Amino acid sequence: MSGSNTGPVVGERKLGGYLLSALAWFVGFLFFFPVFWMVLSGFKTEADANGPPKLFFEPTTEQFAEVTNDTTGLLSAGEAFSNSFWAVAISTVLVMLLAIPAAYALSIKPVDKWRDVLFFFISTKFLPIVAAILPLWIIARELNLLNTRLILIILYTAMNLPLAVWMLRSFFSEVPRELIEAAQIDGTNLRGQITSVILPIVAPGLAATALLCVIFAWNEFFLAVQLNPIEGSTVPIWVTGNVSTRGNFLAKLSAASTLATLPVIIAGWLAQKRMIRGLAMGAIK
Amino acid sequence: MTAATSNAPSREEQVKALQKREARRRRLPLLPALIFTILITQIPFVMSLYYSFTDWTVTPPSPRTWTGISNYTDAFTNSFFREAAVTSIVMTVSSVLLSVILGTGVALLLDRKFFGQGFVRTLIITPFLVMPVVAGLVWKNQMFSAAFGVINWLLEAVGLEAVEFASKYPRWSIVAVLVWQWTPFMMLIILAGLQGQPASVLEAAKVDGATPRATFFQITLPHLRPYLELGVLLGSIYLIQVFDHIVVMTGGGPGSTNVPYFVNQRSIGGGWRFGSASAFSILVVIATIFIATFGLRVLSGLLEGEEP
Amino acid sequence: MAEVKFDAASRIYPGTEEPAVNKLNLDIGDGELLVLVGPSGSGKSTALRMLAGLEFVNDGSIFINDKDVTLAPPQDRDIAMVFQNYALYPQMTVASNMAFALKQQGVSKEDRMARVKEAAKILDLEPFLDRKPKNLSGGQRQRVAMGRAIVREPQVFLMDEPLSNLDAKLRVQTRTELADLQARLGVTTVYVTHDQVEAMTMGHRVAVLNFGVLQQVDAPRTLYSAPANKFVAGFIGSPAMNLLAASDVGGRAGIGGVQVPLSDAVAAAAGAHPARELTVGVRPEHLQLGSEGIPGEAIVVEELGSESFVHVRIDHLGESTTIVVRDEGETDVRRGDNVSVGFNGPVHLFGPDDQRISG
Ligand SMILES: Nc1ncnc2c1ncn2[C@@H]1O[C@H](COP(=O)(O)OP(=O)(O)OP(=O)(O)O)[C@@H](O)[C@H]1O
Ligand SMILES: [Mg+2]
Repeated sequence: MSGSNTGPVVGERKLGGYLLSALAWFVGFLFFFPVFWMVLSGFKTEADANGPPKLFFEPTTEQFAEVTNDTTGLLSAGEAFSNSFWAVAISTVLVMLLAIPAAYALSIKPVDKWRDVLFFFISTKFLPIVAAILPLWIIARELNLLNTRLILIILYTAMNLPLAVWMLRSFFSEVPRELIEAAQIDGTNLRGQITSVILPIVAPGLAATALLCVIFAWNEFFLAVQLNPIEGSTVPIWVTGNVSTRGNFLAKLSAASTLATLPVIIAGWLAQKRMIRGLAMGAIK
Repeated sequence: MTAATSNAPSREEQVKALQKREARRRRLPLLPALIFTILITQIPFVMSLYYSFTDWTVTPPSPRTWTGISNYTDAFTNSFFREAAVTSIVMTVSSVLLSVILGTGVALLLDRKFFGQGFVRTLIITPFLVMPVVAGLVWKNQMFSAAFGVINWLLEAVGLEAVEFASKYPRWSIVAVLVWQWTPFMMLIILAGLQGQPASVLEAAKVDGATPRATFFQITLPHLRPYLELGVLLGSIYLIQVFDHIVVMTGGGPGSTNVPYFVNQRSIGGGWRFGSASAFSILVVIATIFIATFGLRVLSGLLEGEEP
Repeated sequence: MAEVKFDAASRIYPGTEEPAVNKLNLDIGDGELLVLVGPSGSGKSTALRMLAGLEFVNDGSIFINDKDVTLAPPQDRDIAMVFQNYALYPQMTVASNMAFALKQQGVSKEDRMARVKEAAKILDLEPFLDRKPKNLSGGQRQRVAMGRAIVREPQVFLMDEPLSNLDAKLRVQTRTELADLQARLGVTTVYVTHDQVEAMTMGHRVAVLNFGVLQQVDAPRTLYSAPANKFVAGFIGSPAMNLLAASDVGGRAGIGGVQVPLSDAVAAAAGAHPARELTVGVRPEHLQLGSEGIPGEAIVVEELGSESFVHVRIDHLGESTTIVVRDEGETDVRRGDNVSVGFNGPVHLFGPDDQRISG
């Protein structure tokens, strides 16, 4: 009896499998669709974009040219991208420089109260940034840091540091203890242990952590709009500058949005495998 | 002889000096990050605490005078603040829960081997990478819009009436975009959990005759628990602070002003009432400390019994 | 070349009460291969790590060449260590792994390469110098770990179960090679294992630990022929020595109703205690099956080819007890046969304090 059953069951499984695969593809397109639509609209004319949804049209790069050359607003594309680039790059480097030794001191040669310290770091992420923005604004004003890149660099470093410490700590604790001991017996000091033994092993985790910092800093809007409304502002503010209350703007906005999101999306695509490992292993051993 | 022994450091002294040096050596690498974090996060807090007991406003400019707890009593009776608190809770809880549930479903779909698996995963993680203001703008103008939105175009195609979602359902429109962005994040974490599940256990379950359903609920789900907890924790940390989406989608329209948006409007976002805004900030911090204590308990569960 | 001395050295792990190593006294001679052996958790690794400087010494001292290194960090002790899982740096080639310590010491590149080449030659690693550890077999990795130790030309080699990740056959082969290499280099070596065969075949002397306490340190032969106490007697030798509470047969120690043969000196020394407080120990190979002796029934017959072991149930102190007897390879004894067990070798006697009673 059971023998005669195997045929149909396998068949059903196969069919079910195809259905599930089709469903996965469908879900994938569903999630991606808004992004696809945004990119597509960037190649439309304003007339095509501001009308009933259109899949087929005559593509044009005129919107891209316009948003990158437009200097009527306060913030030009060039300024926004260079401000963003420097704020993101320098803050991410600073985060790593601070977080790597800290993670070492919380995992490999832990300080006595490493759990408490780790809790402190992560608990600062619970503090709503909005509760701190007023004093930050006042301090920045007093120090003449409003509308500078420096203030964003400092705050993006503080913003990403807890997450980086948290993720790196777990990567570091994956490094076999014997390896560190072997390095110690071989006569390395702290810097030698970190640079020649630990970092090469945790490189994937390091990349995932840095990438996450880049994503969060690149996409950050609140601090930039509050502290640098006039100068030194970043790409997210530039994007919102393309929303206009007069006339059609959807195609231009789409072109600007595409340019703004593209760097991070591509970086994320390239590093997604590492990020999966990094996110999960970063937290759960 | 006695002179010699008293001159040379005793073993106890040597050990003590050594332990001290070792403790310092261990602390040293931690200090830069720790001091930096303390400076940046704690000083503003102390300043807020001080301002919250004054009646400082910028327009009209006023000197800072000490007013005691009056800002706090005002805050407690402020119905807008209460509404904002409710909005915060509803938005955070619903977007976290929905994205965890959807994320689990998507992760299960992607955990199978099929043609184009990597490509589909790439498509799905994309929303997480999109800048929040861009996400808000795209959804508002090109998905939800009654005139040009794709969703409404579909609704009309099946004979329904178009809805201006962002102004008719501001809160849920925002939740929808948050779920769109955070489902991929949850999916990534849960997928890592699924892939970390030893195949032998699943095979053993099969040999024991467990149905796929039983296998999922009795083996996979318990295994995923720490991953789900982590997702909820990280998701809450970020989603409770949502601001950007609100600015670009509804501008705080009815039912979509959450606590961060509310507090910001009171201070440098336009109200310039620094004393009162600071009192709200402090209340928010106190509330988050409560929530955080709970969150940290989850965390300590994750760290339980773990050696460094 | 170096001598090593543990002087009442103890290690108490933080958060524990019992010392993992308790007042260890051990003198290791220049060029000696000393094996630390004991059951799991007995403190072997801890003792080795104390010598390496990886574990803090709570009490007592450790000397290398009369120099007190108790508080010195590992890099100042001039030691090299081979770990159980080898701890090779995964991102470095075999050559870089071996040269790493020399690089830290500031040895010039040519000298480094020369010494690595020399070590590689000794260990047959020359073809693999440019490979990464993950592309090596278990045995090759083990040799790289050895190579990393020997290029340093240290005062002392420390090895913590270096062969336990190899399969049985390779383990036996490597064991011999390792002992031979150590003899050629003449470097003082402390070798940790829980495998008593490894201990007996490799060690010039063997130190037996149990619960962090040193039980006996002696040449393998002495350990076997004159175990200092009941623990060592039971631990060394396979199958294990038969250890039984003695019965009183005419005022002397016995098994069942039969007096055990003792030299006059031992018998006299044992006379200080009532027979029922003594423990009799006799190895299976010092018992024989014959027509007279302790009557019993064969319940298990293990034939190993060259020899066989017969488990015999006997009546002892009013209960039935099993003793193991060695017999010839092609034995005629079958399960269920009635047999008699006689003595054909030395019998060990342990007092109420579990210590050996010698004449
Ligand atoms: N870091 C530590 N903290 C607390 N206790 C420890 C630690 N390391 C070892 N111990 C304890 O010390 C005792 C000795 O451990 P050790 O590792 O030296 O045993 P071992 O003889 O090497 O055993 P094995 O053959 O299993 O390797 C054990 O009881 C162990 O549980
Ligand atoms: Mg051990």
